[in-house]
Amino acid sequence: MLELRNVVKRFGGVPVVDGVDLMIPDGAFVALLGPSGCGKTTLLRLIAGFLSPDAGEISVGGKRLSAPGAVVPPERRRMSMIFQSYALWPHMTVEQNVAYGLRLRRLPRDEIARRVATICAAVQLDTLMQRYPGELSGGQQQRVALARSLVVEPQTLLLDEPLSNLDANLREEMRFEIRRLHDEFRYTTVYVTHDQGEAMATADLIVVLRGGRIEQTGTPEDIYGRPRSEFVARFVGGANVLPGRFAGLDAPFSIRLEDVALLSAAPAAGIAPIEGTVVRRVFLGSARDYVVEAGGEVVRITTPPQIDVQPGERVWLGFPPERCHRLEPTASGGE
Amino acid sequence: MRVDLSRVLFALAALALVVMVVLPLGWLVVTSVSGAHGFTLENYVTLFTDATMIRPFIITLGSSAAVAIACVLVAVPMGWCVARTDMPLRRLVRILVMASLVTPPFLGAIAWELLAAPNTGFLNQVARAAFHLDRSVHPFNVYSVAGLTFVNFLYTFPYAFVFVANALERIPADLEDASAILGAHPAQTAWRVTLPLILPAILAGALIAFLQSMTVFGSAAVLTLPAGFHTMTTRIWSLFQFPPKPALAAAASMPMLLLTFALLRAQQLVLGRKGYALVGGKGARRTIARLGAWKWAALAFCGLVLLNAIVLPYGALLDAAFVKIAPAVPTFTNLTLAHVNFVFFQLDATPVALRNTMVLALGAATIATALALVVGYLVARRAVPGWNVLGFLANAPIAIPSIVLGVGLFLAYTRPPLLLFGTLWIMLIAFVTIEFPAAYQQLTAVASSIHPELEEAARLLGATPLRVLRDVTAPLMRSGIVAAWCFVFIGAIREISAAILLFTAPTRTIAVVIYDLNESGDTGSIAVLGLLLMVVTFAVLALANRVPVITTAAEEYRA
Repeated sequence: MLELRNVVKRFGGVPVVDGVDLMIPDGAFVALLGPSGCGKTTLLRLIAGFLSPDAGEISVGGKRLSAPGAVVPPERRRMSMIFQSYALWPHMTVEQNVAYGLRLRRLPRDEIARRVATICAAVQLDTLMQRYPGELSGGQQQRVALARSLVVEPQTLLLDEPLSNLDANLREEMRFEIRRLHDEFRYTTVYVTHDQGEAMATADLIVVLRGGRIEQTGTPEDIYGRPRSEFVARFVGGANVLPGRFAGLDAPFSIRLEDVALLSAAPAAGIAPIEGTVVRRVFLGSARDYVVEAGGEVVRITTPPQIDVQPGERVWLGFPPERCHRLEPTASGGE
Repeated sequence: MRVDLSRVLFALAALALVVMVVLPLGWLVVTSVSGAHGFTLENYVTLFTDATMIRPFIITLGSSAAVAIACVLVAVPMGWCVARTDMPLRRLVRILVMASLVTPPFLGAIAWELLAAPNTGFLNQVARAAFHLDRSVHPFNVYSVAGLTFVNFLYTFPYAFVFVANALERIPADLEDASAILGAHPAQTAWRVTLPLILPAILAGALIAFLQSMTVFGSAAVLTLPAGFHTMTTRIWSLFQFPPKPALAAAASMPMLLLTFALLRAQQLVLGRKGYALVGGKGARRTIARLGAWKWAALAFCGLVLLNAIVLPYGALLDAAFVKIAPAVPTFTNLTLAHVNFVFFQLDATPVALRNTMVLALGAATIATALALVVGYLVARRAVPGWNVLGFLANAPIAIPSIVLGVGLFLAYTRPPLLLFGTLWIMLIAFVTIEFPAAYQQLTAVASSIHPELEEAARLLGATPLRVLRDVTAPLMRSGIVAAWCFVFIGAIREISAAILLFTAPTRTIAVVIYDLNESGDTGSIAVLGLLLMVVTFAVLALANRVPVITTAAEEYRA
């Protein structure tokens, strides 16, 4: 169990991490999600021991690792980290990079060779062992960083925006790779990202951060389908945030883009639809994206491709009550 | 543990810098206001009323201003030709400019004595022979303010050249293309876009040229003393001749110190202005002007400058070293190794001076580099509280002219408890202090270019901070360390401005011996020693340029 209790970190008096409480079970995959400046990287560096907290404490398995003025140094935490820049040592070959942590642990030579070979096979690097990092592609560098971190069998793996330097295709591939390795080796993973898609695709548990505080913690389904605040709804991006009157509620509510019904004719009796005008239509292949102006609000809707309405046409929007999630009134404002 | 170690390093580094900078400057200020009966301003009164103090001041400022203007007028077109045109032999021109950058001005001045001394100067003899002039006529006289200005210009224009050429190379072609596409004539583009972009570099180059010629001692001493006038530096030096007036010397150092400080501050402001930061970096494409037939004119212009800076002086030195009586056109009958033989096997001063120079250069290079590594790393990583103070102290020696530092060190170490005057230690302190900023700037730049995550990755895998330094940081900084060491070494073997005040007979260096020999007029020995100095310099430079493969790998990786 990785446990954070009321962790606070200030830079120049300004709180960047502002009282975070979090319990991460052993072997879980947690994503820290938030926009830039939300404190997620600072939180990760606090966990790694590069920063010392101004208040609160961090412990693993009941053993206290960080408290104000008493920080176990990074090298004695049994953690590994994947950096945004990969941080591969340019003066060492792939093999030397990967073996470095084992050499520090003074393992016998053949043991080191065996474990390096095993992990490099697991991440498909076996043919590149004698290359220097400068001679590898971005994806290959990423794999070396993974191998180097995993070969020491860490209790906890920390990842700091590991995919942000890769192109879109590779990013998708590496996402699954990171999850696959987690499932294979069962360490605890803390994954920092600003990309909700990445967080959804990999994590068991998503922690949405805002201004140094936790905004919402939950499974990907929770975060996506039942955002607790307007901020989460907007940031995670899968939902509209609309005034309560649209669905007969007393507070703003969120509804997923694909849950809004788009009707090209006024419906019969029953539900009270909202009338609007199509502003924009984008064809995405497997779906269509609409932007509709209705009742002074902008509503985004995703429909199956068969539903085809021209921009400028009048439409009627339906908000099924069971799909509308009432937001906590305290959480207002944008980012 | 980790905190303690960096605190200890910080304390040691800070202490070293304070001793290096604050101690001599402190004594300088204190002495300048001390008289026989305590506090006095009489030294400063003398400074501003005595004509023998005022005249050198005016001569120095006038000559330095002329040097700065000449540097700009030559360096801008030359920098443009080398950086942005299809002029032939651009690489060679650049190499020769660098050669004049590393030529010690005092050696250049001595070479120009051989060329343009009123009576014996080679150029005067040639002119007389060519135009059938009388023996009393001498078209060239290097022992004059004009001669001093000319020689100082030859060995300071490379600073301005480097600034301008680098700035021109960093301007992305897009900026100029954008102007052209809007309908600007190439000359309009040059005037409205390119020139304003390199203006800060030009100003910075001019300021450096001014500072260099204001604070130079060697060339000034060689050229002014026979002519019977003084510059600020030689006047300060003369105050240490019998009867010594160290208090007046301390006061006389102040204007130079303050002026240097003010000009460096001005340079910072010029270079630091927002919006002038040139983006693009190395990879940026740049346009190359096609000069057509004009390229030969451009080459002739560059050639003329380099003829005076390199070809003639080194020719004169070679001539003096290997003919019986210089200057003379070398023939098979007058070539000789007598001077070489004399310098290495008969001159008493040589073995001691060689040993001293080697000990001092090796010691200064190693100490300055080690200290710069610690300070540069702590500052680049902001690893300790107070890092900015450390950075300020590390850069401070730039603002202290060498001769002023010499005065300060003389004052600080001729009294108990640190009676270092007359030992090699005081010379070592002087050399380390003078050369430290160069090493420091080199190593902070290298340290900042190493991504901190490279070190953090090693920490998380189980390496202690010292282990990280050994396995990751030091190997990545290796080429920078070698370069810094070489810079300090080259600087130390040619240092004369501070050494001239601090040496005693057993602690003479090669540069001091050359200076002494010049007073006795032994041109053959001077030439041999001077060329020896340059051979060592170029050998070390060649070593520094053999950049290890690591840097290229690291750069590729970063890119």
